[in-house]
Amino acid sequence: MSDSIIKVEHITKEFKILNHREGVKGMVRDLFSRDYHMLTAVNDVCMEIKQGEIVGYLGPNGSGKSTTIKMMTGVLEPTSGTIMVNGRIPYKNRAKNAEEIGVVFGQRTQLWWALPAMESFKILKEIYRIPNKDFKDNLEYFDALIGAGELYGKTVRQMSLGQRILCDILASFLHNPGVVFLDEPTIGLDVSIKSKIRELIKELNKEKGTTVILTTHDMGDVDALCKRIIIIDKGSILYDNTIENLRSYFGAYRTIKLSFQKNSAGLAAQDTYEVEKLLHTAFPNAKSLNVRGDEDWTEILLNEDEITMMQVLNIIQEKKNITDMMLQEISTESVIKKIYEGGVQ
Amino acid sequence: MICKNKFPRLRYLGLTRGSMMQSLAFRMSTLVTILGNVVYLIIIYYLWKAIYASSPVASVNGMTFSDTMIYLVLASALFNFMNCFIIWGMGRDFQSGQFVLYLLKPMDYQVFWFFSTSGQYIISFFTTFLPTFVIVYIITKGSFALGVNLIVFIISVCISVMINFFIDFFVGTICLYTQSIWGVNIMKEVVVALLSGATIPLAFFPDKLHAFANLLPFQAIYNAPLQILIDRSLDGKDYLTMLGKQFFWVIVMLVISRCFWNLSKRVITVNGG
Amino acid sequence: MINKDNKQYGVRWYLHLYKMILLQDLKSKMSYRADFIISSIGMILTNLSGFVAFWIIFQNFSSINGWTFHEMLFMYGFSLLALTPVQCFFDNNWNLRQNVYSGDFIKYCFRPINIFFYYISEVFDIKGLGQFAFGFATIGYAWYQLQIPISLGIILLLIVELIFASLFMIAIMNLAAATNFWLMGSTFIMIFTFNFKDYARYPITIFGPVFRFVFTFFIPIAFLAYYPCIPFLRAEEIPALTYCLPVFGVLFFYLSYKVWMKGAAGYSGTGS
Repeated sequence: MSDSIIKVEHITKEFKILNHREGVKGMVRDLFSRDYHMLTAVNDVCMEIKQGEIVGYLGPNGSGKSTTIKMMTGVLEPTSGTIMVNGRIPYKNRAKNAEEIGVVFGQRTQLWWALPAMESFKILKEIYRIPNKDFKDNLEYFDALIGAGELYGKTVRQMSLGQRILCDILASFLHNPGVVFLDEPTIGLDVSIKSKIRELIKELNKEKGTTVILTTHDMGDVDALCKRIIIIDKGSILYDNTIENLRSYFGAYRTIKLSFQKNSAGLAAQDTYEVEKLLHTAFPNAKSLNVRGDEDWTEILLNEDEITMMQVLNIIQEKKNITDMMLQEISTESVIKKIYEGGVQ
Repeated sequence: MICKNKFPRLRYLGLTRGSMMQSLAFRMSTLVTILGNVVYLIIIYYLWKAIYASSPVASVNGMTFSDTMIYLVLASALFNFMNCFIIWGMGRDFQSGQFVLYLLKPMDYQVFWFFSTSGQYIISFFTTFLPTFVIVYIITKGSFALGVNLIVFIISVCISVMINFFIDFFVGTICLYTQSIWGVNIMKEVVVALLSGATIPLAFFPDKLHAFANLLPFQAIYNAPLQILIDRSLDGKDYLTMLGKQFFWVIVMLVISRCFWNLSKRVITVNGG
Repeated sequence: MINKDNKQYGVRWYLHLYKMILLQDLKSKMSYRADFIISSIGMILTNLSGFVAFWIIFQNFSSINGWTFHEMLFMYGFSLLALTPVQCFFDNNWNLRQNVYSGDFIKYCFRPINIFFYYISEVFDIKGLGQFAFGFATIGYAWYQLQIPISLGIILLLIVELIFASLFMIAIMNLAAATNFWLMGSTFIMIFTFNFKDYARYPITIFGPVFRFVFTFFIPIAFLAYYPCIPFLRAEEIPALTYCLPVFGVLFFYLSYKVWMKGAAGYSGTGS
């Protein structure tokens, strides 16, 4: 029986925000009287995460995502409600809680800039009081896993962004924490490094049973790593379930990708525009219809409960010359987008 | 409505207005800075009172206690008025690489900084120098004349501001070559403060040191306008000589700072920063 | 989970960790030799101008409030030495504004060690050593001129007093830096309080009663040089406050530490 390693119960967080007045006159008035309004960043949020899960935590900017993470890591205190991480209240025992969690920020490093990675690890060994054997074992394991050995001697300053994030992730697992919070670990990286990092996280989770909370805007991360996703927006949880379940809500959705005969001008955008016009004229009531395109393909998203693929293809064929076609399930990204827009029952 | 196309230099005034607004925004910081200046004045009041208490005569090297106080208070007011942090500004521009953007704009970098700080000069003249001047005049019951010397003083101060600006710009350019903005800034501040008579009136300097200080542009920044203001014994000829000397230094510092800047610009474009 | 040996987080452990973290800052700074030289020169010039200022004054006058040239130099040198710890070891406070504003400070909140300790240990200011050297030379010169006796007891007294005196400026700067947690950018406050170190070189006997009180109990720069120096310069009439030096120092430092930690505990980073 695996117990919940993170228990979040009805937490709410409110902030006092200053209203700044405009202009020179406003600045002078701000001197004498200060005007506030209350902002509810997180509103009655509940979640339970079991040990060993990799959970994707998604939400647009300003959704309350970072605020919940800060409360789980002990940096922020909720206005009301309780949180338990590893059986502790994080904000009441910041230091003790910190011993058993790892945190990685995609955008800032927690390593020492001018030191070789190994030296940073040694300092962390000291800080987390990692026993010698575990320290050595982990380093060897990391090397076996992704060849990290060649990074150990490099200073963080000399590393590429991807290498630095790899080292940050390794550093976060070094002390064998129960939970690791990864905040946008693949941001700004190219595809090959991204997949390496995803592999790393998957393996570490499998081997060590570490619970991983992954916040990301990258759907590739979500598809590769998460079985369960939690979506938050405007301070409330919109969705908390598996990815499969999510897709099943949108099971009737299809994506058709079409490419057309290039005329002498070769303007792909023109094609997309024409297709959009055609379809919207033909099916004015199809709310799910969405057309967009790039240089090579025009992508049409549709809900088979509203209009069928054949209907769409027929209309397009009348006016345009289709040279190639691909059929896809709805992408996770589109699903998430739909949730932000309209929510799920 | 002034036509900005007919007088293209007027677009620089937009910078002045911008910097004036930013200056006002630092409300608390200005209050605290003023408080810091007041504390400084209190300290030197007590210090010099104690110093003069040990002297058997009231007037040492031609300065009485009140002469010294007036001099130092006004010197401090002038210092605060002219303190514009462009060295820090330039240093930060260089370190962040931001200044390359300025090089791409159709504005001369030095002129850009001058007009950017001009708003600060205007505000601080009214918030730091003028009140101090008025208070000193009232407290000392008019111990300096308010006549022609005032007008000459204003001219002298304008020249001082420019000398100070060019010196600061020169020193700021040094920041291109080093990461230590603090070191460069403090060296300039300390040397200028001491050798210009702002920390201790030049009248107290032993002969050799006094002669050395007179060879430098720093006393032209502080000592010259202050003498013009409070020394009743000066006449028209003296005024002209002092203004002339100041003018000499403005030209010299202008030339030096521009040459150094142009040289440094070339070093950058060759080495890629 | 790991089996941790249940060592206490003792002082020795913290010292060892401190050394590790500090070294990394030194290593990174060592590569900037020109900056080290320029900063050190700047520091020495600043100290030198203080020395020259006294020299000029005493060319024209015979004493300040009964204190001679060499006595003033003694106090000046002492104050420089007492100011070295805050300069060298607590320099990271100056970066607090930037770290708080950019959100970088948050990374100090995720480690299982004391946040203040971790933050302060990150930076060592090398140019403070220039100040130490100058202060040492100044006080040595004044000591010689004043013909103060040298014995183990006196040297020990000097060292002990220096340690406690240094706590006062450290505390003042901690408090000033802590305001960054509540105000948006309070470097001007830090500059304001930092300037008071320049006034520590003067004996507070030059002030009227009001300011004597202010500089003893409010912004206690009198404890940076004046009170600690009395036993050396005026051994016959040591005021009671000199004996309060250690207790006041420790209390004040502890207070400043608590305020700083309160600010850090309330910090939650930038962004949503």
